[in-house]
Amino acid sequence: MRSFARLNLKIIFHLLGLLLAVNAGFMFLSALVSFLYKDGVVLQLFYAGIVTLAIGGTAMLVTRNHRKEIQKREGYLIVTFGWICMSLAGTLPYLFSGAIPGFTNAFFETMSGYTTTGASILSDIESIPKGVLFWRSITHWIGGMGIIVLAIAILPLLGIGGMQLFSAEAPGPGGDKLHPRITDTAKRLWVIYVAYTLIETLLLKLAGMSFFDAINHSLSTLSTGGFSTKNASVAYWNNQPIIQYIIIVFMFLAGTNFVLSYFAFKTKFSKILKDDEFKWYCFFILSFTVIATLLIYFKADISASTINHPMIWGRFESALRHGMFQVLTIITTTGFVSADYTLWTPFLVVFFFGLMFLGGSAGSTAGGVKIVRHLLMIKNGILEFKRTLHPNAILPVRYNNKAVEQPIVYNILGFFILYMLSFIMGVLVFSWLGLDFRTALGGAASTLGNVGPALGDLGPVNNYGALPGAAKWWASFLMLIGRLELFTVLILLTPFFWRNR
Amino acid sequence: MKIIIAGAGEVGFHLAKLLSYESQDITLIDTNKESLAYADTHLDIRVVRGDATSISVLKDSKIASTDLIIAVTSSETTNITVCVLAKQLGAKRTVARISNTEFIEKKEEVGFTKFGIDELISPESLAANEIALLLSQSAFNDTYEFENGALTMIGLNLSRTAIFVGKTVKEVGDLYPDLNYVPLAIQRFGTQYTLIPRGDTQFKEGDQVYFTTTEKGVEEIFKLTGKVREEIKNVMILGGSKIGYKTARDLCKHSFRVKLIESDKDKAFEIADDIPSCLVINGDGRNVDLLQEESINEMDAFIAVTGNSETNIMSCLVAKSKGVKKTIALVENMDYFQLSQSIGIDTLINKKLLAANNIFRYVRKGEVVAMTKLNNMNAELLEFIVTNSSKVCDKKIKDIDLPRSAIIGGVVRDNEGLIALGDFKIKNGDRIVICCLPQSIGKVEKLFV
Repeated sequence: MRSFARLNLKIIFHLLGLLLAVNAGFMFLSALVSFLYKDGVVLQLFYAGIVTLAIGGTAMLVTRNHRKEIQKREGYLIVTFGWICMSLAGTLPYLFSGAIPGFTNAFFETMSGYTTTGASILSDIESIPKGVLFWRSITHWIGGMGIIVLAIAILPLLGIGGMQLFSAEAPGPGGDKLHPRITDTAKRLWVIYVAYTLIETLLLKLAGMSFFDAINHSLSTLSTGGFSTKNASVAYWNNQPIIQYIIIVFMFLAGTNFVLSYFAFKTKFSKILKDDEFKWYCFFILSFTVIATLLIYFKADISASTINHPMIWGRFESALRHGMFQVLTIITTTGFVSADYTLWTPFLVVFFFGLMFLGGSAGSTAGGVKIVRHLLMIKNGILEFKRTLHPNAILPVRYNNKAVEQPIVYNILGFFILYMLSFIMGVLVFSWLGLDFRTALGGAASTLGNVGPALGDLGPVNNYGALPGAAKWWASFLMLIGRLELFTVLILLTPFFWRNR
Repeated sequence: MKIIIAGAGEVGFHLAKLLSYESQDITLIDTNKESLAYADTHLDIRVVRGDATSISVLKDSKIASTDLIIAVTSSETTNITVCVLAKQLGAKRTVARISNTEFIEKKEEVGFTKFGIDELISPESLAANEIALLLSQSAFNDTYEFENGALTMIGLNLSRTAIFVGKTVKEVGDLYPDLNYVPLAIQRFGTQYTLIPRGDTQFKEGDQVYFTTTEKGVEEIFKLTGKVREEIKNVMILGGSKIGYKTARDLCKHSFRVKLIESDKDKAFEIADDIPSCLVINGDGRNVDLLQEESINEMDAFIAVTGNSETNIMSCLVAKSKGVKKTIALVENMDYFQLSQSIGIDTLINKKLLAANNIFRYVRKGEVVAMTKLNNMNAELLEFIVTNSSKVCDKKIKDIDLPRSAIIGGVVRDNEGLIALGDFKIKNGDRIVICCLPQSIGKVEKLFV
């Protein structure tokens, strides 16, 4: 307990209070939306905001005399409990408005929102008041914002999962330093994030969506979340390919490192083309799209599902669009649905299951293992052959033409092993709770990777509502650890974190 | 010419020796009493004890009337400071020895001349260049190119199989009337005595012979000396010092397969980071098992450039015993350097000697276009441009009163290398390559300048 007292608890509570206060602001915004659309839950959303603000404000007031010192350990605590506190407070709009009555369901839905997973327990989304739906999408968006700061600034400082290598703040010469100060960097990337959101909203509106649908889908595309305002998700617009293409483009951008987007705005295109991860990200998407498209066109019966597939631009275009959409929605871990891939050929089902482990680029809002980690692991694996031939040789893994220090590679290997262990534990617990093999497998991969739709009973056309209560809590836990890159949360469960410094 | 040399280390001393042969007015500055005393007793120069960065010491050395100051202390920053100060105090030209090769690469960008340094010399990069050149002409143990290869000077060891052995220069010349090469200097096996060959000089087995040759002549010499042009592909470098690093980088650029052995792990990692195509091994190069594990027997060349001369020599001998065709060792110690071929290593290089020669060449610039010292021999190779005011202009070679200790190696006219014999008439604008012993340099200069 002695070391516990040494933690700077005041600043932890202060920052958590600040997060809640910001959350309250967005709740008021949702109340405003509710007022504009006259859906009758204005007061409930307003009260949720007031309660959150009161809690957050009190926490900030009580701890206003804090030391401005954050060590690594405070960092872990702030990040993990920040997400948990936000998820707890985020249930209030659902509970007060009665849109989602049970606390378990409400917590699952908010956790799914803040972790940008997009798994939902709602079966009739369209009956939910618009203010609440807006709140639901905004949780994604806030989560995405948090992830950008996390990926660009905080995780590298904490040295998690080799992230120090890919961050904008990476030390050393030649690092893509955007700006020396973290807050400035975060602000610049947020501006891009907001700009993308506004542009997508505008484009979707122009393409024929209602303004409400457009803004909600932009909020969940850019955060690679996946909440939709329609029961059928994006499949609702299967007869409007333009809308789906717009979403495809923005899913791609959201799965790209935001630092690269910053370079693009600065017209430093050579830096983007030189980026190894981006090259492989494009390569994976292209090649997987080709595989999926050809298989859908020649083998799969796209009309077998309950989802309607009008092929207004011909059969091949439909196969290409749905192939590309599914590949992007899984790789970027967005989780929108335009077709039910679980009804395609057995190969494609396993194929999309495999893609859940790929993940987007580091520094994006996408979840999963991340392409750069796969890249380094594969390169390191191949180098092992050479290392057996030359036991004394120095054979560093190269990334962006720079040698990567071996400890970082070990860190990544450690991350992957933990990821697979978490996955296996996830599957085991799900099956213990009564889920069948396919559902448990898909559910664990999907929640850990923050994807959303999974396999079996959790497939694209189903939802998580039918899960037993304990499974929903377990899924929430998996979403949280997956989102916070495992180490951040799991380190809190280790005894040495709490012992002497 | 009045010259100040700052730093009486090996480079400074050797330079002072070369320059004092020409009875230049030389002042040597150093803080070390013993090395100054040694230089004072062995050479005909003036010595000043003190810190070369001290203004009063520089003034004592009459800096204002100095034509050239050469700063060759072991400290790069001292050298730069000395040059900058000297220039401000009135020295006409300045040369600084540096160790950071970046300075040479970015010389124009930084504008070293602007703040007073006319020439930068890096012994490390000179050594790396020398190694690269030696590897490209692997059958020879010394090479120097004039006018981008129009004429090449090559040095080689006569083996028993060479047609030359036992014949006089005249006899060899009669054998092949269409001459594309000229023997410049001979050093008999096991002696330190350098001969300028005349018609009746006989070639003997084990002789170290220097030739100048045109492009066509290189192949001819290969045949006549029984040497085979060996394709060098696999190179092993021992030591990741500046020379090792630079050599590895240059060789990798020319798609050699390079293995570099470095004992310091961090250094090895940095090299592996900078040169992706080079296989960097972390280990001790004196460990024969390690060398064998990295298949030293399959190497075409072995280059030992660690900081330790003995390690370099010994590991080269190990490499030779494993059948490596070409071995090059870096030696710091000038005494070892004299032993050269007799210990069985193809080439020994000394970066300080290289630096001294290079600076010496620079000193003679203007009068002499290019100049090099034959490796480990007591002879100089000079290149002159003939002008209308030269005594030899429009004269036939046989009419020139050339000292016996000098020989014309060849002429470059309109970028073409020519082998000049007695009837050859020298014209304005010709570049003439001459090999001579040190005592006749002055006389040769008077003839050609």
